Amino acid sequence: MKAVTGESSELKSSKLKPGVNRGLSIFDFILRLAAIVGALGSAIAMGTTTQTLPFATQFIQFRAEYNDLPMFTFFVVACAIVSGYLVLSLPLSIFHILRSRARATRVVLVFLDAGMMALLTSGASAAAAIVYLAHKGNGKTNWLAICQQFNSFCERTSGSLIGSFVAIVLLMIMIFLSGAALSRRR
Amino acid sequence: MKNSGDSTVIDVPPTAGSSSKKKAVVSTAAPQQASGGVKRGLSIFDFVIRLGALGAALGAAAAMGTSDETLPFFTQFFQFEASYDDLPTFQFFLIAMGIVAGYLALSLPFSIVCIVRPGAVGLRLLLLILDTVVLTLATSAAAAAAAIVYLAHDGNSSTNWLAICDQFEDFCQNISGAVIGAFIAALLMMFLILLSAFAIRNTH
Repeated sequence: MKAVTGESSELKSSKLKPGVNRGLSIFDFILRLAAIVGALGSAIAMGTTTQTLPFATQFIQFRAEYNDLPMFTFFVVACAIVSGYLVLSLPLSIFHILRSRARATRVVLVFLDAGMMALLTSGASAAAAIVYLAHKGNGKTNWLAICQQFNSFCERTSGSLIGSFVAIVLLMIMIFLSGAALSRRR
Repeated sequence: MKNSGDSTVIDVPPTAGSSSKKKAVVSTAAPQQASGGVKRGLSIFDFVIRLGALGAALGAAAAMGTSDETLPFFTQFFQFEASYDDLPTFQFFLIAMGIVAGYLALSLPFSIVCIVRPGAVGLRLLLLILDTVVLTLATSAAAAAAAIVYLAHDGNSSTNWLAICDQFEDFCQNISGAVIGAFIAALLMMFLILLSAFAIRNTH
């Protein structure tokens, strides 16, 4: 016997739509696949970016690679870790599609998704700060804008940030979906 | 039949108490329900952690905002005063931490409501969603500032960016402390999300 007073309408509506949780889980699975593409693409795009200038000047190195800047290295590592986690969490997502009533595993998924989202956000934000500095430089600290020399390096690193930001948004939506699926009455 | 909170209690004996905590609940199809005490404990824990995160975020914003330093001497090439608004990343950090602290302060009443009414699932879901968004903002600001702070400490030889911390020691200490405070706030917000998810799961 379920709770009766004041909640019978909710009871009826949740009984009429038993597949909403399943729909949420399927949507979560699709978003997870898209986030894998975004995070992995970003890691590969940043990791394979090198540019060698045809000339050499006296002060500035004439070859730019992602591991010249530790923030870019952290970005590549974070994207790789997050895409690896997303691939490993695909079975859990499929399990949620098959058993839409699972609760404890959804809580675990929410926590892990939040942790991975924080890791990816920190990697992407650190890389974004450095990309901004590379584009604009800073007069007060005498940091020169290196994008003026390394054009294609700058373009590729800036573009590789986009995939990771898309993955961050998708991870956020996945957390919302898991929370909504948890809050629905059976 | 008595309805208290989420459970239905049938008073069979005439001396039955009205507490729903220990009474056998006739709900064969409903999932196992955490007692009201556990839910209330989770909500109180949530409130306490929210206060801690608010303190950390406010401390980080204050440390960054008051980090001005003027050197008593000047050299030929370097500017002799440093402030947070010399770097746009630190401006973003300050604004973002202000938003995070403001949100945490405004969500304290909602957290209190969750303590008082353990059955409010919609409110907890709303707090979960808003906490996730603000966690992203806090982490983003903390990481961007951390990248600049690392650069200020170590410099970078490949791009000829010199480490400014050698000249501006107090400034560097302040901004490093601000970044640490922001990361602590982000970590506490992750725990808040976990607690909200747990509380939502236990409500039904």
